[in-house]
Amino acid sequence: MRSGSFFLHMISLEARKLMIYRVDFWVTMVVNMVAHLVVLWAIWNAIFAESNQQLIGGWDLQGILAYGVMVFLTGRIVRGGDLQMTIATEIYDGTLSRFLVYPRNYVFTKYAQQLGNVAPDLVQSLLMAMVAIPALGLSTTAFISPASLAMAVPSIMVAHLLFFLMSLPPQFVAFWADNVWSLSVLLRFVSMLLGGALLPLSLFPEPLQQLLSWLPFVYLYQFPTLVLLGKVGVIEWAMGIGSCLIWCVIVGWLAVPFWKRGNLQYTGVGI
Amino acid sequence: MIRVQNLRKVFRVHQKKPGLAASMKSLFRREWIDKVAVAGADFEVREGEIVGLIGANGAGKTTLVKMLSGIIHPSSGEATVLGHVPWQREDNFRRQIALIMGQKASMWWDLPGADCFDLLREIYQIPPKQYRESLERLTTMLGIQGELNIQIRRLSLGERMKMELVAALLHSPRVVYLDEPTIGLDITAQRAVRDFLLEYRRENAPAMLLTSHYMEDIERLCKRIIIIREGAIVYDGSLKRVMQEYAPYKNLQVHLRRGSEPDRQVLEKMGKISRCDPGNICLQVSREKVPEVAAEILRLFPVIDLSIGDPEISDTIERIMAGRSGDSE
Repeated sequence: MRSGSFFLHMISLEARKLMIYRVDFWVTMVVNMVAHLVVLWAIWNAIFAESNQQLIGGWDLQGILAYGVMVFLTGRIVRGGDLQMTIATEIYDGTLSRFLVYPRNYVFTKYAQQLGNVAPDLVQSLLMAMVAIPALGLSTTAFISPASLAMAVPSIMVAHLLFFLMSLPPQFVAFWADNVWSLSVLLRFVSMLLGGALLPLSLFPEPLQQLLSWLPFVYLYQFPTLVLLGKVGVIEWAMGIGSCLIWCVIVGWLAVPFWKRGNLQYTGVGI
Repeated sequence: MIRVQNLRKVFRVHQKKPGLAASMKSLFRREWIDKVAVAGADFEVREGEIVGLIGANGAGKTTLVKMLSGIIHPSSGEATVLGHVPWQREDNFRRQIALIMGQKASMWWDLPGADCFDLLREIYQIPPKQYRESLERLTTMLGIQGELNIQIRRLSLGERMKMELVAALLHSPRVVYLDEPTIGLDITAQRAVRDFLLEYRRENAPAMLLTSHYMEDIERLCKRIIIIREGAIVYDGSLKRVMQEYAPYKNLQVHLRRGSEPDRQVLEKMGKISRCDPGNICLQVSREKVPEVAAEILRLFPVIDLSIGDPEISDTIERIMAGRSGDSE
């Protein structure tokens, strides 16, 4: 109960901290949305015009544009304000020290902080969706319904947890290597490419699709987006959520030895 | 409350020679050296005691504090704080300690103090009534009630330090580590922080371990000091005793009648000459010889004024830290 109260407090504090900077809040939203929509619209219009086909990989133009917009918006929430370097930075500059003297689990605190960072992204994503969806037009291959929306919420939540846990081991490498920016960028790029954030995985070669279905990346971007667009049945959805949670346990378990061994190396520089 | 036995910390440090070639080489092969930060510390701190931890930069003071607050693990040795091993970081231990770092802000930069304190209430699970009373008392003592709703980053350095003190002491810790709490503050703010710490100790009697480069902090707050040199404890005792042990001499200042030229050869037999001008003499004389030398000076020279005093504590401690003897030679 007490931990829950602290967790909510931390989330609220982080959200308040970000909302202080109103200019940044609105500029980030408008620039991101306009840039992404223009690029998406231009590329897929050109591809459909060039191929002279109505469907590509099972998607019509409006459907794939809806996928592009939704995977971008859900991805922003899943990545939780792109905080994936916070822990590595705190290890590097010694800010971790102040959290180590608090009687609270550090990783738990960071997750609350990451969730708090979702709040502005969530508000922005909803506003962007309200503008983008009517602008895209109706698709015959993708449709957002109240049911798909309800199913998408837990899918995004577990994807967020998985992304947070996946980012832990590379960040804990900072205990030894100080600067792990490259690892973080690598994780982001690989997870976006192999998770369907750049293209639907149905456009990839069949053997690669088979391989990717065994990896956790698909649950970060493609799965919640397909659920949102009504392309996943209830049983498939339940299995997807279960698989994502299993990956959370595996990735979280892998992070433990990094944390324990890394703590022995920690020097608490800067004080 | 704090018990330390043969505590050691050795850091493995990467050594890089200057220049591009050395940088290229370090991409493939690195040279490491072992740097002893703390070389077997032994001491105890009791409830209500403020102990000053003194040493030059890099002597190992902060490393010791980091080990005792559980931030880093030692290489060997033992320590218990309130019966807990600090680096095991049990919640019950962390709820009873506080670490104040003068050089590192621990508050949330973008938020006002009130929001930060509210979060700390959750972190330390402080009951609402105790929290309200604690906050009221601490902010009144430091005179910052009016600053609670201002973003931390907009406060002056002194006000920020006061906020840090409130944040660290809200949960009424039984052990407080203060790492240079007055660094960078102006004289008024330094005095306010010292007064506050004394008052807090009087009311709450925590064990306090203080590191500072300001002798005034040490003289004002600590009756006992621990001096560290190159990781090793070279003195642990009262501030008073350090003078008797490491400064076994007194300073004799003598003013002579105008134009009087003192005889250097005579003075050299009495003690170490610090100054010898026409009209002025300053001698360092062994404590036991002081009455005899003073009488001799009065007999031999046309003295207008003679004063006998202890050397400055800071000079004595500086000599110990630098590894020099305190004898008058």
